[in-house]
Amino acid sequence: MREQPLKEVTQLIHAIKVGMVEGSYSITNKTLDIFKYIIMSKSWQNADALMQIVRAQCKILQAALPQETVTSNIARRILKLTREEFDLLHAKVQHFADDSQASLSLHKLVTQTSESNVSVDYSVPQQGLREALLDHLQEVETELETSSENICVQAEEHIHSSEIILTLGHSRSVESFLKRAIKKRQFLTIIVAECAPACRGHNLAASLAGEKNVEIVVIPDAAIFAMMSRVNKVIIGTHSVLANGGLRAACGAYTVALAAKHYSVPVIVLAPMYKLSPLHLCEQDAFNMVGCAEDVISYDSIPAREAKVYSPMFDYVPPELVTLFISNTGGHAPSYVYRLLTELYHPEDLEI
Amino acid sequence: MVLTSEQLLQTDAQILKTKHKKQRQRNRPRNKRNRLEDSNLTTPETSTTDSASAMPENQDAGATEKPRDQIMAEREAKKLAKQAKKQNKPSAPATPATPATKIITEVEQTTITTKLTTTTTTKAQEKANSLAPKTAPALLANGKEAETGEMSREMIKAEREVRKAAKKAGKGAGAKVEATTQQLAALKVGDKAPGTAKAALPITEEDHEKKKPVLSKAERRAVQEAQRAAKAQGQVKKGQPAGKAPSSAAPSKEAKRESVSPTKAATGSSSPSKCPASTPNGECRVKLFNHLVCAKADSQFINDPLVHPSIARLGVQYAKRTVVGSNARCIAFLHALRQVVHDFETPAKKEFGRSLDAAVKHHVDHLHKCRPLAVSVSNAYKQFKNQLTQLPSDVPETELKELLGHFIDTYIENQIGKAAQAISGFLQEKITDGDVLLTFACSSLIQFICEEAKRRQVAFRVIVVDSRPGCEGQEMLRRLHAYGIPCTYVLINAVGYVMAEATKVLLGAHALLANGYVMARTGTAQVALVANAHNVPVLVCCETHKFSERFQTDAIVYNELSDPNQLVRGDKCQLSNWKAKGKLMPLNLSYDITPPELVSAVVTEVAILPCTSVPVILRIKPDIGY
Repeated sequence: MREQPLKEVTQLIHAIKVGMVEGSYSITNKTLDIFKYIIMSKSWQNADALMQIVRAQCKILQAALPQETVTSNIARRILKLTREEFDLLHAKVQHFADDSQASLSLHKLVTQTSESNVSVDYSVPQQGLREALLDHLQEVETELETSSENICVQAEEHIHSSEIILTLGHSRSVESFLKRAIKKRQFLTIIVAECAPACRGHNLAASLAGEKNVEIVVIPDAAIFAMMSRVNKVIIGTHSVLANGGLRAACGAYTVALAAKHYSVPVIVLAPMYKLSPLHLCEQDAFNMVGCAEDVISYDSIPAREAKVYSPMFDYVPPELVTLFISNTGGHAPSYVYRLLTELYHPEDLEI
Repeated sequence: MVLTSEQLLQTDAQILKTKHKKQRQRNRPRNKRNRLEDSNLTTPETSTTDSASAMPENQDAGATEKPRDQIMAEREAKKLAKQAKKQNKPSAPATPATPATKIITEVEQTTITTKLTTTTTTKAQEKANSLAPKTAPALLANGKEAETGEMSREMIKAEREVRKAAKKAGKGAGAKVEATTQQLAALKVGDKAPGTAKAALPITEEDHEKKKPVLSKAERRAVQEAQRAAKAQGQVKKGQPAGKAPSSAAPSKEAKRESVSPTKAATGSSSPSKCPASTPNGECRVKLFNHLVCAKADSQFINDPLVHPSIARLGVQYAKRTVVGSNARCIAFLHALRQVVHDFETPAKKEFGRSLDAAVKHHVDHLHKCRPLAVSVSNAYKQFKNQLTQLPSDVPETELKELLGHFIDTYIENQIGKAAQAISGFLQEKITDGDVLLTFACSSLIQFICEEAKRRQVAFRVIVVDSRPGCEGQEMLRRLHAYGIPCTYVLINAVGYVMAEATKVLLGAHALLANGYVMARTGTAQVALVANAHNVPVLVCCETHKFSERFQTDAIVYNELSDPNQLVRGDKCQLSNWKAKGKLMPLNLSYDITPPELVSAVVTEVAILPCTSVPVILRIKPDIGY
């Protein structure tokens, strides 16, 4: 049976497609609102029904916006929440005092997987599930709201005075992170690669230029390697973090990371938890999108008529080129990402 | 507009053909004047009699006290006449391909004008007559503003120019033209291109303000230089819209009008009396690059009377980046150098070789001021100097000049032409069916190799990687497209996206340093880096005349900074008026350094070598470095 999208979902898809809603944060926020609405609605009677609705809507979002992984990430979070709350209530009713709670110790996880063979029947209606879910959702919302701030707080831990930092394009997390660093540390030099063809790096540079005690240098993308020899740290944002610890980041990030590796410069990636996606992609064509080529070479120029012109949007950065992830919960090595994923999402929900 | 080395080579051949004719036909009077100028500089008190005896038929009664000025004025007027003729050129039947061709080498222009002088003088006169009613009011206004002395100077200039033209037009027609001289003298002033007339106007006004009865030499030179610069610029601009369409007089006029403003600015900002000392460079604001000077877009013309016009023009072309690329810059330099040698006159009681050496050094310094010399150019210059020291002493000057000219020709032919063929020969073995070559920006050598492979009917395609702000890859794309080679075009960000398809990476180079590092257009190192990560072989193509004995390990110690404003995209860009935004600085590096571990091999005309063999080549080819 083919599920019909909710009105809210179609609205969100439209808004994202026409560019009214931009940036991972606002997309995540809007998606969360939709799922909250679903939970509040009376259309489901038991946990199983709710999970089916969430899955169906998530699939629709995924199909419509294949590049926006945050929507599925949030859906997975909701599914996990539902399972947890159901288990908790179920356990309370049956054993009354299961000491394990829902704490995510390694021991619990090991036992849980062995237990899960004895599948829980989610179709049993459970009293108070809705309220418990809404409560928990509130936590997720606050986490989302404070994620940016939580990342910024760590700026001081990573940046010392008179450091030379290189960044690429324009990421909101990087912008606030650097602003924080500029306030706390003196004589920073920030090198911004402009990230052609959109040249969003110019916006970042202009926004940072208002601060004092900082020198901002805008370079064309070609000069990244030339400048890298003087750079102390590379700080970039990312579109999403993949299951292996690799990145799907703005086009050009691969070159930046490679150049940093060549000069042994640490690469710090700012990634709030909602950007972690349980995807295993390591091929360009698997996730890339090709943008408008007009910015690369104007359509009316003579060679453009015959030549193939590509303007890809993303780059895959393999985990070995990343030194550190900074999320709202602290720093993580790329090799630790799989563990974060198991904490965030239920193993059964990885494939929606 | 970018001059390719091939085009330059073509013109080279042209020049060779016309050279000997020209020598007899045209350059003798000019040489005399040159000598006059030189002797003037050394011994000003004897020059009066000298010049008087040199050209008695051109002497005016009132002008005897300032023959130098006259000569200058004459030359200037002649230049203007050339310009005027250039404007009228499309109507002349004797110019088959000239409007279409985009090459502007000084030599070609002179050949055209010499051809044209015989055919178009009468036409020019007609044009002048027809233009008369239009230009008369302007002329009158000019006349009113100017003092009478100023006016008479203009008249003398014009008269002189007309006589010159008449003389050239042919001995038979000479008498007839002589009759109309008076009439034309008035007209010719107005006949000047509107741009130059306007350019001249502010300057004369400026001089006028000073109320000097006789202009100082420096001022005159400044005027001359400014006009020359305006001319060069006008021609550069004229070349751009030329294309296939017949270049009518209208766009060229427009171009000239445009060209006026920088000239004005140049003459306005640096007062003419102290022009040679003025420096066009500004400090770079980025702390890391304080040691490098930043090129300005509106770099002022360094007014220097001792600089040969061909070198002055080349300097402007370097500064404006109309001649770019190692090979093109080298060829253009050698052409200009040949012109300098050709027009050189040994001062009295001086040795030819040494005085020429000094003169050439001065010219090279001038070029260096316009834009730091390319390694290829400085190598060529070293070779030339080396040649100068080895000149036989018991041979007449004309033969020495021929020797040097021959040396320059063989240098271009061997070091650039034949080297390209040899490199292409090596690489043809490497390019096979189904190959995907990835290249960065624009390289004349890579283009040559691709064309050669296409001629061999190899089924291959090319990925052109490009980068802002230069976007030279578009030029490459255009050239390869003209040869029907299938191309893919991406910006350097996306190089990781296309690298998987590529089977070989071919890169051009600006220079190969003695420690095996490759100096090339910014972005080259990045392409090599990504290619290395994908295990795609990186071949750097570089002729041995670009080898340098310098050592460098990063791109920051020595580099060239281009105009930072190129990074700004239009008015809507956030970077516009970056100067007002405190500590915000765009940085536009010209070159970067690729470490040898990223390069699989260097293809030279000698062999395919690893990067680290550069010192070996430098040793077995000692004439390169020393």
